Amino acid sequence: MLRKNLLMALTVAAVLFNTHARVWACAVCLGGADDSTIEGYNASVLFLMSTPYLVLGSIVGALVFTYKRALKKRALAEAVEPGAQLVWNQEDSGR
Amino acid sequence: MAKDSTARKLSEAPLIEAVKRPGFGGGNPPPPPVRPTTPIGSNAWLAVLMFLGAEAMFFAGLIGAFLVFRLGSTIWPPPFQPRLPLGVTGVNTIILLASAVTMRFALRRTQHGNFKSSVFWLSLTASLGALFLLIQGYEWLQLIHFGLTVSSSVYGGLFYTIIGFHALHVFGALVWLAVVWAKARRRAFTKQNYVGLQVCSMYWIFVVALWPVLYGLVYLY
Repeated sequence: MLRKNLLMALTVAAVLFNTHARVWACAVCLGGADDSTIEGYNASVLFLMSTPYLVLGSIVGALVFTYKRALKKRALAEAVEPGAQLVWNQEDSGR
Repeated sequence: MAKDSTARKLSEAPLIEAVKRPGFGGGNPPPPPVRPTTPIGSNAWLAVLMFLGAEAMFFAGLIGAFLVFRLGSTIWPPPFQPRLPLGVTGVNTIILLASAVTMRFALRRTQHGNFKSSVFWLSLTASLGALFLLIQGYEWLQLIHFGLTVSSSVYGGLFYTIIGFHALHVFGALVWLAVVWAKARRRAFTKQNYVGLQVCSMYWIFVVALWPVLYGLVYLY
């Protein structure tokens, strides 16, 4: 069975690599290299390729911004609360 | 004997550092102070952020389709198809952008505890959103009258799909805003807890921020 599958895979590979490029199926072969449709497809592909990075970058940016804002808020709250400086912690009490 | 005493010393359990150095005034050291570990944002905020990412991908797909046909055509809009009204839509764009500002005001007022003013700004936001939809509906009626329909050409199909989906999103945001407005009137939001309003504001601002991109692409490009 394994031998048969291997033979089939080799045959498919041989057919694929030895066939002329003209017979390959192409979903977007709509015209020449300077065809405006190709230009449209290229622009669309580039745009769609960059979009996930933009979206993820925006999400990460929002998280970083919110985190930094929360840190600033906490620092302000601690500065306003003078009693917080007098709280003993375990390390200080051990001295 | 000496050997025994050495052995006894080694077998003793080592003294814990804290026991060796008792705390101030003796007794057990006080427990360490609990640092507030409040999360930087609520779960709803994070969920809406992810949802907006998915929405952005959805519109990116539509924009990608538009780019294929727009750049693939030498003449745009195609012959015998009506031109889109730039002036009215430009005014409509300003109306929608203004609604983002009023939404921001509503959120700030709630954060400062001024709930009455917040309800007013929410009402104004909803009114501006509704006005945007009404103007767009009127514009669509005019375009249909001039012969631009979904099936008239690729141009019409793309226009109604992209702008239509955006209008649908504005409508959805308007329904959400109406619910938030009703809750705000009942004083359901407080200075500390206003997550419902915050996530609605995020969605509204996303829908508003998307519009200039679509306007520039579909109407001006």
